[in-house]
Amino acid sequence: MSIKEHNKGYLFILPALLFLVVILGFPAVAAVLQSFNIMWVSEPSFNTKSYVRLLGDAEFRASVLNTVIFVGSTVGFHLLIGLAVALLLNLEIKNKHFFRVVAILPWTVPDVIGGLIWRFMFDTLPGIVNAVLLKTGLVADPIDWLGNPSLAFPCVIFAEIWRGYPYVMLILLAGLQAIPKDLYEAAEIDGASKMAGFFYITLPNLKFMIIIATILDIIWECRLFGMVYSMTGGGPGYSSQVLSLLTYKHYFIFFNSPYASAIAVVLALIMLLISIPYLRMTMQQEL
Amino acid sequence: MKKKNHLLKILLVCALLAQIFCFSQAFAEITLTYSDWQLSQDIWGQSLREAIADFERLNPGIKVTTEPVALGQRDVKFTTAIRGGKGPDVFALDANPVKQYIKNRWVKDLTPFIEKEGGKEWLSDFYPVTLMPVTENDKVYGVPKNVVAMVLVYNSDLFGNAGVSSPPKTWDDFRAISKKLTMATKSGGPIDQWGATLVLAKACFDLRFSVVLRGFGGDFLTPDWKHSALNSPEAKAAFNFVVDSINKDKTMPPGVAQVDCNGARRLLAHKKVAMIFGTMWTITEVSGMNKDLHGWKVLEMAPVPQAPDAKSKIRSTLYQKSIFMNPNTKNAEAAWKLIKFLTEKKQMEKWFVDNNMLSCRMSVNEGFGPILQSKYAAVVTNEIQNHAAFLPLIPQWPECLEAFRQNLQAAVAGTKTPDQALMDAHNQIESILSR
Repeated sequence: MSIKEHNKGYLFILPALLFLVVILGFPAVAAVLQSFNIMWVSEPSFNTKSYVRLLGDAEFRASVLNTVIFVGSTVGFHLLIGLAVALLLNLEIKNKHFFRVVAILPWTVPDVIGGLIWRFMFDTLPGIVNAVLLKTGLVADPIDWLGNPSLAFPCVIFAEIWRGYPYVMLILLAGLQAIPKDLYEAAEIDGASKMAGFFYITLPNLKFMIIIATILDIIWECRLFGMVYSMTGGGPGYSSQVLSLLTYKHYFIFFNSPYASAIAVVLALIMLLISIPYLRMTMQQEL
Repeated sequence: MKKKNHLLKILLVCALLAQIFCFSQAFAEITLTYSDWQLSQDIWGQSLREAIADFERLNPGIKVTTEPVALGQRDVKFTTAIRGGKGPDVFALDANPVKQYIKNRWVKDLTPFIEKEGGKEWLSDFYPVTLMPVTENDKVYGVPKNVVAMVLVYNSDLFGNAGVSSPPKTWDDFRAISKKLTMATKSGGPIDQWGATLVLAKACFDLRFSVVLRGFGGDFLTPDWKHSALNSPEAKAAFNFVVDSINKDKTMPPGVAQVDCNGARRLLAHKKVAMIFGTMWTITEVSGMNKDLHGWKVLEMAPVPQAPDAKSKIRSTLYQKSIFMNPNTKNAEAAWKLIKFLTEKKQMEKWFVDNNMLSCRMSVNEGFGPILQSKYAAVVTNEIQNHAAFLPLIPQWPECLEAFRQNLQAAVAGTKTPDQALMDAHNQIESILSR
């Protein structure tokens, strides 16, 4: 019996599909089962205690709010800075390849290392930030950057803006390079200003790339752990604690795996909702 | 006939091959893995590797592969691997997470091995208190290795320079001495030396902060570990003392909320502070951080200050390192040999000589010459025997501790009043314990 021609395709994707099910599907299902106290727990029995507890947990609520602020700020600034740098790097300038390499350097730093570097820089006594401020006489006493709840979180956001903007910049730069030059030439002939060219040619042509970059960056920043962990550990108090850190704490420090899994499931659901527009857009383009 | 001969030859060859296989199996090397956070530290790691080389020499059929692990990543690595049916055959833990490991069956019951060695008699050399963290329902899950109690470590040179002749005995003394020692070392310059530092960051907070609470006569939990004890006047006094020392007296360096145990040692090593809470290892590590300090000469130890009206004699906290076996190990007998070797008297003595660490074996602490002659050991041993206790050995403890720490940080940062922060910590711990 021969396999029908149109079924052959399924056979070809079968190994990749199986691989995905094992690598991605199993942990996801396991996390859901664990959150209901069914799997990988000392005394398995189905219950929804973890989800009920989430509703009344002030620390969880604070972490959700922090995550929203963190993601909103970092993604917003990534877009602004990423677009500005992409526009500059798209200009015909001397040594532009050198500047491109310099611009993506922060992205090459692993988030934990980036966090440690910024932690040392913001250190109250030997940190370079205070050293500069004290030397120039801008402050009289060292500032406790990471020990003050109203400063610690902005410091983490600032560090992550620095580290993460090249990702958005690269996507937007690729988008800029795909815009046909003759559109700008035609606009120039018609007497359009540079600003008009930006608003009526660049931005509309970049729209798709901006949406993709935004969605991917939101997902990335929602999951971010290393930068916050290594800079403040979520403190002082839980002023800089985000959901990924709360999940880690419950899983590996408090050994409270069902609750940690419930937080992870909620975070995954939020990211799934965010990624729907991305999936729709990419699928529509393929069709 | 020819066929029969062939068959016989084949059978003979098979028998010979089977014999060679069995012979090689009998003499095959067993490979054990040993994981310990101290393997990743220079001095401790060297000492451990030497001990393991000795073990391999004495046990030719057993090879040990060492797996260093960062302390902060230890439980992440161990628990994930053990859940997945893997992990090191033998590993070290401090007392904090042990009850969780036992509850989740991430450590093997060692009672049958101990019974073979002589049971209670074999265990009788260990301080009874050191068996508490590793015992559950009369089953012993680990073998105690090192124990120490937290004490006050101070720089006698800085004390002398400030005209302070003796270490503080009470918290009022501590406060007064801290004020004296907080100064600018260059005339007209900014303040660059402080009286003391506490550890308020996550790493090592438990051991260092608990002594303040206990020194005031309070504690985190009630003696049965079932309720929060933070609503006591003693706890309130300790909490306010810390917040006031940082915010009003300013006798602790700026940024103290982010200081961890390594940070505290560094501040002591570079003469930025004159006092920290530490123990035997503090001398080794601080001396290593700054050779010019001459740590072994200038650093001294004293008991933790105590409130004059404190009812409890407990003022210090015990730290213990024990060795455990992975329930997934395929070489349990060899793993037990390694555990026994690492915790035997000779190795404990070596550990003191190399690392200035005391033993969980009474015979070592009370009979080994260098320990008996050590001024540091004298202070710490007295605390172990008379004034120290473990932190709560319950599975909910890490969560209780974190709730307390977060509220303390909020009080220090001024986002909550000390009273409110302490009350919040009390209520949160009550809620955690009632779950």
